This record gives sequence, structure tokens and C-alpha cells, in this order.
Amino acid sequence: MTTTHTPPHIRLANEISAQFQQRDPAAAAQEIAQHIRAFWDPRMRAKLIADAGAPGSGLDPLAVAAAALLPPATGG
Amino acid sequence: MTASGQVATVYVPRDSAARSVGADEVADAVAAAGRPVRVVRNGSRGMLWLEPLVEVETPAGRIAYGPVAPEDVEGLVAAGMLDGAADHPLCLGPTEDIDWLRDQTRVTFTRVGVVDPLSAGDYVAHGGLSGLRRALSLSPEQVVAEVTESGLRGRGGAGFPAGIKWKTVLEAGAELKFVCCNADEGDSGTFADRMLMEGDPFTLIEGMTIAAWAVGASEGYIYVRSEYPDAIATLRAAIGTAYDQGWLGKRVLDSELSFDLFVRVGGGAYICGEETSMLESLEGKRGMVRAKPPIPALEGLFGKPTVVNNVLTLGSVPMILADGPAAYADLGVGRSRGTQVFQLGGNIARGGIVETAFGITLGDLVERYGGGTRSGRPVRAVQVGGPLGAYLPTSRFDLPMDYEAFAAADAMVGHGGVVVFDDTVDMAGQARFAMEFCAAESCGKCTPCRVGAVRGVEVIDRIVAGVDRKKNLKVLGDLCDLMTEGSLCAMGGLTPMPVKSALAHFPDDFGTTTEEGR
Amino acid sequence: MSLIKEQDYGTPARPGEATVSVEIDGKTVLVPEGTSVMRAASEAGIDIPKLCATDSLEPFGSCRLCLVDIDGRKGSPASCTTPVTPGMKVRTQTPKLAELRRGVMELYISDHPLDCLTCPTNGDCELQDMAGVVGLREVRYGFDGENHLDLPTDSSNPYFDYDASKCIACSRCVRACDEVQGTFALTLEGRGFATKIAAGAGGSFMESDCVSCGACVQACPTATLQERSVVELGMPTRSVLTTCAYCGVGCSFKAELRGDEVVRMVPYKDGKANEGHSCVKGRFAFGYASHPDRQLKPMVRERITDPWREVEWAEAIEHVGRRMLEIQAHHGAGAIGGITSSRCTNEEVYAVQKMVRAAFGNNNVDTCARVCHSPTGYGLKQTYGTSAGTQDFKSVEKADVILVIGANPTDAHPVFASRIKRRLRQGAKLIVADPRRIDLVRSPHIEAQHHLRLMPGTNVALINAMAHVVVTEGLVDREFVAERCEDFEEWERFISGPEHSPEAVEEITGVPAAEVRAATRLYASASNATIMYGLGVTEHSQGSTMVMGMANLAMATGNIGREGVGVNPLRGQNNVQGSCDMGSFPHELPGYRHVSDDAVRGVFETLWGRTLQSEPGLRIPNMFDAAIDGSFRALFVQGEDIVQSDPNTKHVTAALSALDLVVVQDLFLNETSKYAHVFLPGTSFLEKDGTFTNAERRINRVRPVMAPKTGKHEWQIVCEIAQAMGYPMKYDNAAQIMDEIAITTPTFAGVSFAKLDQVGSVQWPCNDKAPEGTPIMHIDGFVRGRGRFVDTVYVPTQERSTRKFPLILTTGRILSQYNVGAQTRRTGNTAWHPEDLLEMHPHDAEVRGVRDGDTVSLTSRVGETSLRVKIDDRMPVGVVYTTFHHPVTGANVVTTEHSDWATNCPEYKVTAVEVALRNPAPAPAAPAMAE
Repeated sequence: MTTTHTPPHIRLANEISAQFQQRDPAAAAQEIAQHIRAFWDPRMRAKLIADAGAPGSGLDPLAVAAAALLPPATGG
Repeated sequence: MTASGQVATVYVPRDSAARSVGADEVADAVAAAGRPVRVVRNGSRGMLWLEPLVEVETPAGRIAYGPVAPEDVEGLVAAGMLDGAADHPLCLGPTEDIDWLRDQTRVTFTRVGVVDPLSAGDYVAHGGLSGLRRALSLSPEQVVAEVTESGLRGRGGAGFPAGIKWKTVLEAGAELKFVCCNADEGDSGTFADRMLMEGDPFTLIEGMTIAAWAVGASEGYIYVRSEYPDAIATLRAAIGTAYDQGWLGKRVLDSELSFDLFVRVGGGAYICGEETSMLESLEGKRGMVRAKPPIPALEGLFGKPTVVNNVLTLGSVPMILADGPAAYADLGVGRSRGTQVFQLGGNIARGGIVETAFGITLGDLVERYGGGTRSGRPVRAVQVGGPLGAYLPTSRFDLPMDYEAFAAADAMVGHGGVVVFDDTVDMAGQARFAMEFCAAESCGKCTPCRVGAVRGVEVIDRIVAGVDRKKNLKVLGDLCDLMTEGSLCAMGGLTPMPVKSALAHFPDDFGTTTEEGR
Repeated sequence: MSLIKEQDYGTPARPGEATVSVEIDGKTVLVPEGTSVMRAASEAGIDIPKLCATDSLEPFGSCRLCLVDIDGRKGSPASCTTPVTPGMKVRTQTPKLAELRRGVMELYISDHPLDCLTCPTNGDCELQDMAGVVGLREVRYGFDGENHLDLPTDSSNPYFDYDASKCIACSRCVRACDEVQGTFALTLEGRGFATKIAAGAGGSFMESDCVSCGACVQACPTATLQERSVVELGMPTRSVLTTCAYCGVGCSFKAELRGDEVVRMVPYKDGKANEGHSCVKGRFAFGYASHPDRQLKPMVRERITDPWREVEWAEAIEHVGRRMLEIQAHHGAGAIGGITSSRCTNEEVYAVQKMVRAAFGNNNVDTCARVCHSPTGYGLKQTYGTSAGTQDFKSVEKADVILVIGANPTDAHPVFASRIKRRLRQGAKLIVADPRRIDLVRSPHIEAQHHLRLMPGTNVALINAMAHVVVTEGLVDREFVAERCEDFEEWERFISGPEHSPEAVEEITGVPAAEVRAATRLYASASNATIMYGLGVTEHSQGSTMVMGMANLAMATGNIGREGVGVNPLRGQNNVQGSCDMGSFPHELPGYRHVSDDAVRGVFETLWGRTLQSEPGLRIPNMFDAAIDGSFRALFVQGEDIVQSDPNTKHVTAALSALDLVVVQDLFLNETSKYAHVFLPGTSFLEKDGTFTNAERRINRVRPVMAPKTGKHEWQIVCEIAQAMGYPMKYDNAAQIMDEIAITTPTFAGVSFAKLDQVGSVQWPCNDKAPEGTPIMHIDGFVRGRGRFVDTVYVPTQERSTRKFPLILTTGRILSQYNVGAQTRRTGNTAWHPEDLLEMHPHDAEVRGVRDGDTVSLTSRVGETSLRVKIDDRMPVGVVYTTFHHPVTGANVVTTEHSDWATNCPEYKVTAVEVALRNPAPAPAAPAMAE
């Protein structure tokens, strides 16, 4: 269960992932990555990419897959 | 057991006019007279000075006794009333032979006083339903055509041809249409609607059902004034019976017609006798006049095409359909065809219902039928057509009862009420009363009626008091013109009629001269 | 400019072509069928005297002043109630008519006070005018007759008086309440001469159902119903046309003034959004603009614990510019940002986002729409291609079925609600999806066919069930879908799944399956069905999904692209639409174009002379998170009290406390300014020059009635801060800002102040393709080409009721108050809503021992507050409700950090809470014990 103590970027990434559970995982990851690229500030994106690699992040597997598709943050 | 060995059938009216003078007690007394009798509570024959009028069924027809007080019953029974014995001062002989009744032409009221109002069997046995059966065998267009041919005009007062109104509703394209019966009989001196509803309710139900078939309506409402509790109860009981008999509801008399009928009770406003106010009231709103157009035939109850007719109009329809339009149209004069149910009241010796063909003179009604005043003093004025009708002097007793002839005399037939006054009447007071009545009963919508009536009272007071009489007579004249010409409905529009007629015919009462009064 | 008086044609216009030719006083005029003789005359330039007629109301025919002569008709029919017929010949002036009209006036005046010279409405009284017109010279009845001159005045309403002694019983007020407002609070009481206006059951106006919309005051031809401001100040002398600054309906008003003082706000008949109607806020609650609480001078302090120090503008601006630069120097360009306000003008908002993008050099700009309608932007963009409602308000007049979801128009969008109600009274059918039994479900002459009383948080399950019924019961408009849409087949497979059937989701939503099926059939089989929705849709963790779910439903049934249909967000604040249009979102430049689009960025870079960031910036909740983690250090807040309005107050205040610089630009010191270092006084709508864009994309002019009380327009302040930061940004006036918007933003290409002054208002897109604007969108094709069906998975919110927090709290707005109440709490509107109340079902109250009026604690897992209880069975069992108009309540102390997955819009509508008795209400005086 996500609680107040879950970092916001992880909570949000998981909530996005929940919307795509019924889809083919590859396509879902693609769409999630696209969404994050379009709407997230680079510093949140960077945190997500960083956490995606770490075990026990609490990230949904789809979010982890999406993070792998994200380009590293440039500005911010 | 009677002498002939049969249970006597005794008629004691249930009509509220009869009840108000002790008919219930008389009926109780008859039932308790010691001999087995069948008491039928019929409607009133309309001879109100003879109420309670007791009739006894005999092989020779019904024998009438009246007016019967409860304490008379014992003596009457002892005198052989239950066998139709004539040996009693109250015996009037065979009912049908009473000249007052015999000389009438009863069409709408043909069954009133004759039948048990709530007996379906009586109704059918006396010709009921034949109009409806025939109507259902015709197309709606044919029914409308027959009503048109009969010359039947609205009996509520306006005299608008019923057939034309029905045709408009028939031709109005709408899935839902209504037939509404205006039974808010508020005019002073009128009681025919009530007597029909109490004395022969199935006739009204049948008339409304024919109207529904003719115009394509599926729902009907009878709007009855709350002052008529007996009529309301009788109608409700009759409607229940009619449903049980298959005369109302789905597939009326196994035809394609479905028609539901409801009674709605008014709240005591005279203005709800005006058709658009009645519709507002039926919709649950304040009884206030609607501007026309749109006419109710096109946008009536809840905005749907609606027939609005008076009790007597709808009550005449079954006979017209049963006997054909020609029989009805053969009666009457000019453009006033058929019969009118006149009601004689006020200071009159023989008050009650006189149904007769149009064309009878006012004098005939008041003197031949009415027998002059009850006080025995000379007649001075007669008000015809309710509180907004003209006051006519005896010099106009030659007027035939006819819409057009009355209109030409600045008067109106209206709902057929005739109220008689003797020579003690103060006609300025009557004129003032007309304005007062309007002030009390105006719906309050239009200015000439709402404010004008109040000012009318004040101006008449000034005239009578002799304050600036000439100037105030001019003001009153102008006010009457404004009310006649500028009011939204007939209430304000007709209020000047009694005022102006009183002023024209009885100027002395205002302390003025004929010339000034005009 | 003098007073603007719109022409009164006496009766409403009838639709259709002008085909009936009539001759009036020798002039021939062509009018549509059904037009009254009075209106036809008026159109021919002939004024027939009238008192009870006015063109916002159906003809009534009571005053009898408008009598005319018509060839072939007997008597003198009233011209207001008589429709024209072909070839009709009418005379409006004859000696007889003059006589009658004078007679009518003579009667009126015989029962009217003769105090014209001291009457508050002197000079603006139709009775007085008509007495003049008909040439009344004498009242021959005298003045000692029966009259109403001693009737008392009802002053119970805070804004207007009802002086019964001046009433002419024309019934205009009653009819306005019925026909225009649809509240049916007024009636005529008594009969004949005793006829008088009564509120409710005969008590005072305040005791009645009156909602103080002002329609009766507007309709009254005399001083009977009169604004108290006119009584106190006198008649105004000039008008300025402007736009209301309350909700997203965007009503046009005439501000009527004496000098610079607003005497009254009068709804403007030619305003397209309101057509002469108003509500209690726009009509009367403008007093806050001159409230003594207003802070008119800039203030600065080093620490938020320091007292404020009033300073000159130059110092304040220099301070902000310097501190912003310092913070950027220490913490990076992305360490600062700004929030735009949906209450400010398009031009003011545009200036702020430009300051952030060009002067701050980042995309850290967001708007308060984040917390209300951001899911609308996302959802409609994904499905239809543009972030806006599809219809104009007028379109509802053609709707046969109206589906209202998560909106409470009679409270939150009252003027549009009146239009909905009027359509419903004409026979349109209504479906309401809402946990609460909102007033629209059942009110006078209106009853919803279906009230889908769903549990908060289950919108998506419900809309999916409706779509499931459409697809599985053969209700799809196949032709529309084939021609106009894409991705339908995949969506059809998705939505046909048995897990979406009404029966399957009944347990989730709480709505009986049969009811869902019946409602769906009603919606799908209507000729024209329209969806209206509000924050009950968006403020959820699945807000964006729900917006797309509604878009799917409308497309599948072909209810897009013509009058009477569509998907329509009811925007909460006056310029939510505009602030979004103006590029307030961190990922979008003006006109909803993504910051990553090189071509679009190029347009602005060329014009602004700065390189713009191509990555999205921080959204408001991200700003708070980043503030707490230290990467975000300074915030400029334009006209939004984020501490009171944003969820989880503790979190917000922790974030603000962590910032090095908070700059608040507002009318009043507020909850947020407690955490501010700089306060920049803002301007009220009466001082602003610019435009607001309402919920129907209508761009309305906001015109100043006075110079800024603060000495500066808000956009000027923003420009000067940018300049202080080294970025040259300057406009001579607001019109120049709109000109810049027009050249950079294709949907606004045809918009200019000059154009708006000329045509009144336009709905974007307004450009070469649609020079007069676009009332209805997606007529020939969707903005994105084909309408796209999107699979809308129902993902339940993680906010659930638990044993500890067994109730669900949902929040909303009330008619008399507005948002955080900064404006309305400073007006007479507090008479209706002095405090926020917690509404709860009698059962929930009973089991907690709570009675009406008791003070209770309201606790969620993030916070606790206390407020008084109103027991009301309009609430479903298990759900409680409150408003957030009063800071003392702090409703957002308890709301959580949950938010919409796509946009971060907070989930205000679902918070698990518990309620416990704190202080019982004072018991009513105990009856004396019988000994």
C-alpha cells in the first residue's frame, strides 16, 4: 500500500502504471514513458530513473520498464 | 304490507336544496312509518317551493306530496300516502300533471328527479348511454358535426358554439388532450349545474365521454366548487360505478375509447368559474385568468388542447347524440337553439328549475312560472345571468330569452339565472354591490378590474351621497367604459353591466335623473 | 459614457425567419411567426405603452396599457398577448386608446405614493415614465380611497428592499423568479385589490426560497424591489460594460456608477453567457472590492516572523527581482517559479507565464486550474484534440437529455443552471450522477428521471458501465463512429468486457444496475444528449480517466459536433479556461502547445528574445515536494490562496515555510501571505482592463471602472519584476498583450480588444477560418482529426474508508460563497453562509450521537478540524460533505495528497474521515416541568 511516506514520484509512477495494467506490457511501458516525458519535470524524472535501478524501490514493474525508456534529464 | 300487498316505493329527494329543508328527516320518517317501504333518494324535480317533495309510485304513475315536513309524514301515511291516496291537503296529484312541470321541455334535465341518481340500472332504463353508444358508432368528425348541427352553445354564459370549440380541439395535433367540465357554479341565483350533478350525474359523465371520443381526449376533469359537497360525493360515487360498468376507463363500452375521469374541488374563488382561471387552478396554481390567445382549445390544461364546457353544455350532449341534432335544433329561436335550464330565484313565489326552449319571454318566466314575488309586493327589477348580468325593469318583460335579443338590450342570458327583486330594492345599493362583488372576487391580475372595482364602489358612494354628483357620474361612466373595454376577462368586462343598467333604468335610486344616469 | 439602457421589446423574440408582414400605424414590418404585436411595433420603432411586459418574460396581459386597435377585431386587444397574423393592420394611437390608457394610469396612481421626487427610483421608474407618456394630468378618484400606502417594507435581504406600498401587482417579479431564475420563490397572495407579492409562504424574503439572484429586482418597473445601494447612494449616472469575476459562467454586467463609485451591478441583456440574468454573487457581492481589508501598498519583510513593512513599489519590485536572481545564482535557474491565477485576466496570466519562461528562464509555471480542471485539459486533449468544452451555453436549449455529472450548477454555476432548468421545464430529461441529492434532482417543476447516486470515487466504474450498455445493447452511432473516430474497435472490445457491466459494478458504485441501464438508454437514444460536468469528475485520482470516459460515451452515441450535445466542463472560477489557454501549465505554451515543440518555441523565442526550456517544469504539487526536498526555493503566487485551497494544509505550509522567498500578489492578506516575504497588492475586477474566458471559451472584456487603487495594474508589476531581473518586458496597455497573444497563438489570431469592443465577445478558436469565433467545436471533424477512443480502466482510489476512518468526506461549494471566500466573506453574502457546515445523513449522525448544530471533530489520517453539523438526508449514508469557504474551518487540513494520475489534480472529493461529537449545540430552553 502506498502511504504518505512513499516518495511522490514513486507514488505517481505507480498510479500511472495502474492505468495501463490491461495493456501489453511493452506498449504500456512505451505509453507510460511518453506520458512522463510530456508531463514530468526533469528532476522528478531523474529520481525515477535513479530509483528504477534500485531494488526495493516499491515501483511497479511497468514503471520500471518505462523508466528504462526515458532519456536522462538534461536541464532542470 | 300495503293494501295491494306490495312494498311501496317512495321518492324523497337527496338534492341538497331538499335536504336543506328537511328531506333527510322526511325520508327517515317515511322509512319508520311502520310499513315496509322502499325509499329512493332521487334528485329534485326542481319545484323548490314544494320541497321536500315526496312521490309515491302507484300503478297510475307517481303521486306527489309537498312540501312535506317530517311531522307531516305520520298523517300522510295515515291518509294513505303510501298507496297514492289524494285525500290530504299536501297531495299534489300525479307529478307529471303539475302544470309547472308539464309545461317544460325537459331535455338536459329529463332524468333529474325521476331516477335514482346512482343507479346504473335506472340510468340505462331511462335512455342513458344511448347517446354514447351512438357516438361510438360514429367517427369523431361525425360527432363533432352533429354537435355543431344541433346549435348547442356554451351554457356557462358566453354562448360559444360547442361544435366549433370541439372541432378546434379535434384538429389540434397532440397526443394528450383533455375534456374539462366547469362545475364551479358561482353565479348568484344559479343552481342547475348542482342539481344535474346531484340528480343525474351519469348524464354529465356520458356527455364528457362523448366529448372525449369526439375530440380525441383521454382524460377528463370535473372542477366542482367546494361549496357543493353533495355534488362532489355524488359525482365520485357515480364515477366509481361508471368504471365498474365499463363506461369509463380502458375500452369504454368495448370501444377503442379510453377515458379516465376525475373530480377536482375548487377553493372558493368565483373567478375559477372563468375557464382559464379554472385551468390554472386545475394545474394546482393560483386561480388567475390567462390572456387569450392561446385559446384553451389549443393550449389548455397543462398546455394541451382542451375542451372546457359547462355542466349543462356537456349534460345536453347525450340527448343530442341519442335523438339526433335536428330534434335539439328544432327547439329555440334565432341562433339560440335547443333548451335552456333557467333557474328562478331571489324574491320569487315559485323558485326552481324551468327547462324550456329558448324564446320564452322574461315575463313568462317570472310571472307565469315564478308567480311573482314571494313577498307579494310588485316586482321592480330582475337580474338575469348572474351577478354580472343586467338589472331589467318590468318594462322589459317582453324580452325573449335569447342570447342575441338580450345582448341587444345591453343584457345577457348568461347561465340562465333569474333573480327577482320587489319594489323595496335599492338599485344604487345593487350597483354598488356589483362593484363590491368584483372587488372581492377579482383575480387581481388586470388593473381595470383589480383597482377599478374598488374605485367603483367609492365613486358610487360619492354619487349617492351627492358629492360632485355630475362629475362623479362622468367618472363612473369612464370607469365602466374602461372596465368593459380594458379588462382581461369577462369578470371586469361585465361588472359595468349591472351598474350601468341600474343607473339607466333606476336613476332615481342614485339621486339622479334618467338623463344624467345615461 | 452615460447610462446604457437596452431596448425593451416588451415580449421575447420568437425563433425563425421573419415571414409575417404586418402594418402598424402605417409602417410595414416583417417578423417571425408568433411575434407579439407589441414586439413587432417595437421593431418598427413604435413604442406602445406598457408596464407588465418586458422582453425577458412571456407576455402576461395584466396592465392593460398596451391595448391597440386591430382591423377586424372587436374591442381593444392587448398588444403584448396578441400575436401578429399576416396582413394585420394595427393602430397604436387613437383617441379612444388614449382615453383607456389614461384611465388605467389614473387607477394605478390612485393607489400609489406621490413621492416621486424623494423616491429612490426617481428617473428610473417605468410607472413614472408611463404616467408621462399617457399624459395623466388628474386623478379624479382622489387619494383618500382604499389603498396600500401603509404596507410595510421588507428589508430582510441584505441587498434589496421590498416596499409593498409601491407595488403595482404587475407580477414581473414573480414571473422573473419563475421563468428566468426558475426558483419559484415568489407568488401573488390574496385576491382582487388585496393581491400582493409574497415570498415563500408569506414570510420575509430571507425566510423564503429566494436565492437573491436579483431577477425580481431587475424586473420590477417601480421602486418596489430596489437595490439598497441605490436607496443609499442615489441613481447611477454612467455605465461600464464588464464581466463578472466570480464563476466560470462569465456573466456580462453593466457596472453602474456615480463617478468612480459602483452603485450597482446590472446584468447585461446582450451578454451572451447570461442574457440579462445574474446570481447573488455577481449581482450584489461586489463590495469586497472597496472593503477596508484591502491592502493597497506593497509590503516586505525579511522573515515571515517579522512584522510587515509597507514600502514603495520601486523598493518592493527591486527586492523581488534581486532576491529571485540571488536564489537562482545559488540554487540554479529551476529553483524559482510562479503560479498564475484563474481569477486574473488573460493578459495578467499571460504576463506571469511569460515572466517565468523568459525572465526566470524555466517552465516552473502552473495555475490554480491544476487543482480543479487540469484533468479536463488532459482528457479532452487526448480524445478530441483540444482542452476545452465543446459547446456554447445556448446549446443547452436544444438538448433533449442533460447528463449532469459531479456538478452542482444551482450552487456553483447558478446563471447557467437557470438556463438548464428552463430547458428541463420545457421537457428535456435529466440524469444526475452525484453522491448527494443536489437541488437539481428535485426542485420546483424539475425532477431528474434518474439520480445515479454513486459512491464517491467510482465515477469511472459508472461511466464504463454506461458505455458498456451502449456497446452491448446496440446503442452505438455506428455511422458517426466510422466517419469521425479512431481506435473504436479496440475500445469496444475493452468496454464490452463483462467486468464493466452495470451488474458487475453495482457493488462498487452502489447504483442499481437497472437504473444505470435505463439512464444509459435515455441518454443514448435522445436526439440530442449533452454532458455537463464539474469538479466531481476531475478532483479524483482518476479524474483524467473519467473525462476520457465521458468523451468516449459522447462519441460512441454521436453526441458531438452540433447544437444540444457535447461534453462541457463547468469551470469553477471566472478565468480557469483563460488561464489554461494562456500557457499556464508547465508543459504547455499558450494555446496548449507542448514546450518540446521546436516550431512553437521558436515563435516565442523570436518574439521574446530568449531561449526557452523544452522540458516541462514543476506542477504545483511538485513545487511543494521540491520545496521540501530543497531544490525549489522561491515562489511567485498570483491571486491564489494556496494554503486554504490546496489539499493537505500541513504539507503546503511545510513547503512554503521551507522557501527562501514567497511573493504573494493578492487583494487581501490571506492564509498564504502568512508565509510570504513580499506582498504585492493586486487589483479587483473593477480596476482591471483585459479579458476573461468563460467555460464556453467565450472571451469577454473586463473594463475598468476606476484606476487601480494600488497605483499599478497587475501586469505592470509583473513586467517590472521581469525588468528588475534583467529581462526587458514592457507593454503600454493590456490591449498590446492581447495583440501579442493573437500573433503567437493561432486559436486567438482574430482576437483583439477592438474586435471585442465591436462584437461584444467571441469564442475561440477565432481566426481567419472562424472570424466570428466558434460557438460549437468539432462540427466537421475533431480538432485532432479523428476523435480517439481511449480505454478507461477503473483503478479505485487508494483512499478507502477504514474502521478508523469509516466515512468519506467530499467537498464543494455553496451558492452564496465563492472558493476560499476571500471575496464573498467580505460582502453581505455572509448572511446566508456565516460558516462552513458538515452535512451528514441522519443515520451517520445518530450512531455518533450527533445532533443538528453540534460541533464535531472531523479527522482524517492527515489532519483534524472542527465544525458544526447539519443533518440532511440529501447525503447518502457513509458520506459527509463540507465547503471550504472559511479559513477557520480549514477543510483542507484533512484532505490528502492523493491526486489524479495524469495531472496531479488533488483528490478533494474522496477523503476517509471520522466524525466525533465535540461540543453539543446549546440545548433549546427546556420546557418548565409540570409539578
